[in-house]
Amino acid sequence: MTKNSLKSGPDELGYYGEGENAMGGMAVGETLMPALHELNKGFEDAIKDQAFLDEYAYYCKHYIGRPSPLYFAENLTKNLGGAKILFKQEHLNHTGSHKINNSLFQILLARRMGKKHLICESGAGQHYSATAAVAAKFNMPLIGVMGEIDIKRVNQNIIKAKHYGAKLKSVPGSLKEAITFAIKTWTSNPDYAYIIGSCVSSAPFPKIVTFAQSIIGKEIREQSMAQEGKIPDMIVGCLGGGSNFAGSIYEFLDEPSVKKIGVEAAETAALSNGTPGIMQGMKTYMLQSNDGSKSLGGSSLGAGIQYFSVGPMHSYLKNLKAVDYTFATDKEILDAYKLIAKTEGISAALEPMAGAAEVIKRAKGKSKDYLICLSLCGRGEKDLDTIQEHIGKDFE
Amino acid sequence: MSERLKKIFQSNNPKTKLVAYFVGCYPDYKTSLELIKKAIDNGVSVIECGYPTSEASAEGPVIKIAHDKVLENGDTLKDIIKLVSEIRNYNKEVGIVLMGYIANLYKYPISKFVTDISDAGADACLVVDAPHELKEENILREELNKKNLSLIKLIAPTTDDNRLKDIVKISSGFLYQVNVSGVTGDKSANETDVSNFVKRIQKSTKLPICSGFGIKSPKDAVKIANTGCQGVIVGSAFVKYIQDNLEDKDLPSSLGNYISTFTKELQRTG
Repeated sequence: MTKNSLKSGPDELGYYGEGENAMGGMAVGETLMPALHELNKGFEDAIKDQAFLDEYAYYCKHYIGRPSPLYFAENLTKNLGGAKILFKQEHLNHTGSHKINNSLFQILLARRMGKKHLICESGAGQHYSATAAVAAKFNMPLIGVMGEIDIKRVNQNIIKAKHYGAKLKSVPGSLKEAITFAIKTWTSNPDYAYIIGSCVSSAPFPKIVTFAQSIIGKEIREQSMAQEGKIPDMIVGCLGGGSNFAGSIYEFLDEPSVKKIGVEAAETAALSNGTPGIMQGMKTYMLQSNDGSKSLGGSSLGAGIQYFSVGPMHSYLKNLKAVDYTFATDKEILDAYKLIAKTEGISAALEPMAGAAEVIKRAKGKSKDYLICLSLCGRGEKDLDTIQEHIGKDFE
Repeated sequence: MSERLKKIFQSNNPKTKLVAYFVGCYPDYKTSLELIKKAIDNGVSVIECGYPTSEASAEGPVIKIAHDKVLENGDTLKDIIKLVSEIRNYNKEVGIVLMGYIANLYKYPISKFVTDISDAGADACLVVDAPHELKEENILREELNKKNLSLIKLIAPTTDDNRLKDIVKISSGFLYQVNVSGVTGDKSANETDVSNFVKRIQKSTKLPICSGFGIKSPKDAVKIANTGCQGVIVGSAFVKYIQDNLEDKDLPSSLGNYISTFTKELQRTG
């Protein structure tokens, strides 16, 4: 990797970029610092071990069902009348989202490091059910932490995780409260492995999660070359913490010809409306009170993108203007859901519909050979009650 | 390095110092000031004045409730620094440590924070989620050094000997020994473990050691004092006392009496 590569970071201490603008770092209590250094070493050792990487590849294929297809959304393309739209079908993975790429990787890593117990947090419950599935497979007990608001709205994931044998701890609030409580739980049990769900919090988590999810972008390159004879002109994805989008674009970071657009939820658009701050283990853009004492709320119908902050690599890429970040409202998300359900027969999760809303805006007026790849990172089952409540009558 | 903290720990009276944590401006600015004055009157050697952050990652339920209340009241780090200046006006000998998280300190911003706490008469600060790996910690430490103030560092049971050596090198004032892996006010430490831990730290440094987490009663305080540390830190127990007695019309005096049950026991350990 060259020094000027956007793929060369973060540095040893977890910083993306240099000086005042450096993002990331390690902002956690002393109790966890040794565990984080141990994890960093464990990760660096593991990715040099071909047998470990082969094991990950094996389970990616046979347990997750990778590669996920790169699908030509022909009817949507016709409907929008512009660019050619491809869906990276991460929702077809076992457990229904991209989350399992990371759960599998981190649990294999935890096993390699001799860990016996697991902790995770979750927003939409996709990470919780994915981690619970892999934990069951490898016979490791798991405690999941989720906010009460989310537990109510993504009940299917909660039920599935229960069947896989995981234990759930409910806390007031949503994803941000779940992350803070998961860190507390880990502080009380520093010998456990914390299987974080996104590329957020203290180093080395952003690096590890991005590594695990970068399989998405590698597959996009291979599949696009094989099917279309070229790589996409534009990659669009939704962000809460930003793992699915990080995984989709990482492969293409050093190729500025590939336009990259990340889409947050309108009310929690840290990259569009936030300021740099340090909370939950990392320096990054976030929505906070002026004095930095409080994280600020804001809701989205997509539980997984309702997060006041964002992974530090995205803040770094924003500062460099290497990636564009925008946001979508609940109405735009629901409209996109409706269009994709009707044109393609795909009931997608609401989170990637934030990305779809941007694709709808961008596709028009582009030439037919302009390729837009949307990361369709989750399926809709968990959101059916929410969708029914808001736009159920539109389908009658 | 704070001269006042140095003097406090050089003195042999009391042999084991009581370090008391309060959430600044809890339950409100005025009451908080009266509570801390009574704590000083009843023999506390060092006041740790906490400032809240919504995503504080090491606080148990008791301190979290107090943090949330201060945030809800709208009292900020600036108000808490003002509180510190009033505490300093009231007493010139007591040690005062600002204690909290990097989030609002970073936004203050850091250099102004150090100037303001220095002007207010504080001796040190402790930032729970600012290990020496964090750039902002390095900046903060440098600014504090310029003003002859101390940065209090944490040593946890998980801190290995190599890391311990790195931490004592950059520490001044005293070391905050975290007795158990966990959040505040939760688990209690085993006396033998604490004693071994104190010995392990003393192999690397002559800095005073104050031992905290899970000290809930005067009896616990005495047990920990007997492990060879120079100070015991009590936080959640005092905050809980305040929480449980918010209706008490003379809460400062009754808190003072409660604190004296700790300081009297600790006097006997000398």
